[in-house]
Amino acid sequence: MPPSANVGRAPGLPDGGWGWAVVFGAFVSIGFAYAFPKGVAIFFKEIQDFFGTSYSEIAWVSSIMLATTYGAGPISSILVNRYGSRPVVIFGGLLCGIGMVSAAFCTSILQLYICVGFITGFGLALNLQPSVIIIGKYFLKRRPIANGLAMAGSPVMLCTLAPLNQFLFDNFGWRGSFLILGAILLNCCVAGALFRPIGAARASVKTQATEEGKDALKEEVTKDAMEMSSPTDVPMETKMEEEEGKDCCEKINQYLDFSLFKHRGFLIYLIGNVLMFLGFFAPIVFLAPYAKHIGIDEYSAAFLLSILAIVDMIARPTTGIIANSKWVRPRIQYFFSFSIAFNGACHLLCPLASGYTGLVVYSVFFGLAFGMVCAMLFETLMDLVGAARFTSAVGLVTIAECCTILLGPPIGGTLIDTFGDYKYMFIKCGAVMVLAGTFLFIMNYYNYRMLAKEEKERKAKEEDPKSVRTENEGRNNWNKETAQDGPELEPLREEQEGLKKEVNGTN
Amino acid sequence: MPAAFSGKRLGLLLLLCLSLSGGSPADPTMTPQDASQSQANSLTKMQAGLNGESSALLGPDLTTQEFKQAIKANVSSVTFVEYEVLIPGVSGTSIEKNITLDSATGIELSCRLDSKYSYLKNLQMTWKRGNETIEHINKTENSWGIQLKILDNSKLGSYSCTLKGEEEISAIFHLQVPKIEGKEKPIVSYEGDTAVMICKSFGYTPIAWTWYRTNGSEQIAINDSLLADKYVINSISANVTHLKILKLTGEDDGVYWCEAAFELGKSKGRLKLKVLSFMVPLKPFLAIVAEVVILVTIIFLYEMYSKKKCAEDEKEFDQVEQL
Repeated sequence: MPPSANVGRAPGLPDGGWGWAVVFGAFVSIGFAYAFPKGVAIFFKEIQDFFGTSYSEIAWVSSIMLATTYGAGPISSILVNRYGSRPVVIFGGLLCGIGMVSAAFCTSILQLYICVGFITGFGLALNLQPSVIIIGKYFLKRRPIANGLAMAGSPVMLCTLAPLNQFLFDNFGWRGSFLILGAILLNCCVAGALFRPIGAARASVKTQATEEGKDALKEEVTKDAMEMSSPTDVPMETKMEEEEGKDCCEKINQYLDFSLFKHRGFLIYLIGNVLMFLGFFAPIVFLAPYAKHIGIDEYSAAFLLSILAIVDMIARPTTGIIANSKWVRPRIQYFFSFSIAFNGACHLLCPLASGYTGLVVYSVFFGLAFGMVCAMLFETLMDLVGAARFTSAVGLVTIAECCTILLGPPIGGTLIDTFGDYKYMFIKCGAVMVLAGTFLFIMNYYNYRMLAKEEKERKAKEEDPKSVRTENEGRNNWNKETAQDGPELEPLREEQEGLKKEVNGTN
Repeated sequence: MPAAFSGKRLGLLLLLCLSLSGGSPADPTMTPQDASQSQANSLTKMQAGLNGESSALLGPDLTTQEFKQAIKANVSSVTFVEYEVLIPGVSGTSIEKNITLDSATGIELSCRLDSKYSYLKNLQMTWKRGNETIEHINKTENSWGIQLKILDNSKLGSYSCTLKGEEEISAIFHLQVPKIEGKEKPIVSYEGDTAVMICKSFGYTPIAWTWYRTNGSEQIAINDSLLADKYVINSISANVTHLKILKLTGEDDGVYWCEAAFELGKSKGRLKLKVLSFMVPLKPFLAIVAEVVILVTIIFLYEMYSKKKCAEDEKEFDQVEQL
C-alpha cells in the first residue's frame, strides 16, 4: 500500500502552508491585544476635560483594560480547550467591537470603565491567548520564526494605531473615534476566521485510516479528546477504560490543566517571568517623562519611543530566526535568560546615559532587548510544556503575570516620587530583570540536566525486549512524544523514530 | 484674585541682553516680578559675563542671558521693575522685547550702549511712545532710561528708544497684557451631545472671565444665567474657566472667545467648535464593518472550497485503492 504523503512529515504540523496565513492572523490579533491599550491613551486628555475628572481616574481605564486582558487568561484558555481557537477569537473580536461602540455613547466615566476597560479588555484577552496557542498547533520546526513574526504585530500595530488615533481624533472627536475603532477591532474576527482548526493527531487519522481499521480510528479520536488531560505512561487500553472512571480532578484538568503546577519547567518559567514582569514595562512608561525631565523637548522624547518601536519591530522576527537555528533551538531557554539579563543590563546602564545621544543609544538597545524577550516569551513556554498543555499553561501564566505587570509601573512611579530621581527606578528594573535572567539560566540548566536524565531512563525502558511491538505501542510512543514536555530536539527525533515504528508495524 | 501691591512678593532682578537672529522679534515674555529693596533706584546690576560677551557682539546677533535674583520685597515704597536692553553697534537691526503685565506696576525701561562704543560722541537718545516723545530720561554712564507707572490700559503699548548718532539704532519694548491660549485644533462634538471648552491663563490670575460667541461678524457675550439649560460657565480655579454647552445643534458650530480681564486690560483666546451629525463617523464605520464581513465570507468560502477539493481527492484515492 502506498503510504500517504503525510507520513514523510511530522504528522499534524504543517510548519508552513496555511500556517503562514495563521501567522498573519495572529500578527493582527496579537498586535491589537498589546497595542490597543497604549494607543487609546491619546484620547484621555480630551475625555478628562469632557467628564471633568482627574488624570488618575482616566488612567484607570487603561489599567482596567490591561488587567482584564491578562487576568482573563484562564477563561480564555478554558474556552480554547473546549471550543478551539477560531470561535473564541471571533467572539473576542465581536466583543471588542461591541465594547468600543458602546463606549462611544458613554455618559459617565464609570460606563467608560465598563465598556472600554472590561468588555474591550475581555475581548482582547480572548484574542491574545488563542492566537498564541494556534501557532503551536501549526508549527513545530519553524515555531520560533512563527512566534517571532506573530509577536512583531505588537510594535507594528502600535506604530500604526498612534497616528491613526490622532487622525481620527482630530476629525471625529473622541466619540466618533471610539465608534470607528470599534469597527477596526472587528478585524480581529477576520484574523480569527483564518485560524482554521487543526488537531495534532488529525492528519495521522488520515494516514492511518486507510491502513488500519475503524477501531484504530476510534482510538485516535478518543486520544485527541484525552490529550488535554495529564499525560501518563499508561498504555492505550487502560486509558480507554479509565475514561469512564475519571474523577473530578481530571475533569477540571480537561478544562484547565492545574497539574501543570507539578511540572518543573512550568514552575521555573512561572517564577522567572513573574519576577521579570516587575521591571519589564516600567521603563517604557517612564522613558518619555525621563527624557523631558533631563531637558529634552516633547517631540524628541516621543521620537525615542518611535525608535524603540522600530528597533523592536525588526528585532522580533530576527530573534525568531536566530532562535530557530540549530545552534540555538536546543538551548533556547538559555537564549531567553540571556535576553532578559541583557534587558536588565540596559536599564542598569541607562542612568549613565547623558544627553539625547545617550538616550537614543539606550532606546536602540532597549528596543532590541525588548523585542528579543517578547519574541521568545511564548516560544519558551511552548518549548517547556509542549503544544498540548500550552493552552492551559498560557492561561495560568498570564493571570500570574497580571499582578506584577500592574504593579511594575506604579512601584516605579513611587520610587520616582520618593527620591525625585529616575535613576532608582531604572536600577530597580534592571536589578529585577538581571535577577530573573540569572534565576532562569540556572534553573533551566538544572532542568535540562534532569530532562536528559529522564530521557535516558525512558530509553532504557523502551529497549526492554519484553514490551510487545504492536501498532498501539508505536502510536503510544508517538502520542507520548506529542504530549511530552522537553527540549524540542528530543520530540523531533522521537517523532521520526515513532514514524519508523508505525511504518514497520503496518508492513 | 487681583495681583496688587499688597502682600509680600518675590523679587526678581532682570538684566537682559537680547539675542537676534535675522532680526526676529520673538522673545520669551518676561515676568515682571519685583523688586529692588529700599529705594526705587538702587538697582544692582549684574554684569557678570556681560563684558566677556561684548566681544561677540559684533554683528546683529546677541545672546540672551537672564540673571534672576530673588529678593523678598518690602512693598512700602513703589517698586520698579527694570528692563534693560543692550544696543548693538550696528544699525538697521531693531531689537524688540515683549513685557507682560497683568496688574499695575512701576517699570523702568532702559537702553544701554555697549561700553566699547562709548567713544562715540554726540549721542542722543530719544524715548518715544508712538509719536509722543517722553521727557525725563534718566541718563547714566552708558544707558538711558525712563520710569513709567503703568496704572491702566492706556499706558500699555510700545515704547521705543532711538539712538541718534552717526547711525540710528532703536529698540522697542512692547508692554502688553498676558496672552490667553485657546485651542488651535477645533473641538469636535456631536448633535445632542455636550461640549466642554476650557481656557487657561498661565502664570497670571485674571480678575474675571467672559465668554463670547461669534455670530456673523459680531461677538455676543454668553450669559449663562439667562440660558441656564444651554450654557454653564464654571471656574475650577481662578486661572481656568470652563464653558459647557449642552444640547448641541448645528447652529452652535463656530468660533468662541474666552476673554480674561486683568487690571490692565483684557485678553482673548480663540476656540473653534465643530458640531457634526452622527452620520459623519457612521459612514467609515459601516464601510469597515462591510469590509470585515466580506473578508470573513471570502475566507470561509475558500476554506469550504479547499475542503471539498480535499474530500474529492480522497474519494478518488479511495476509489483507486478499491480497484
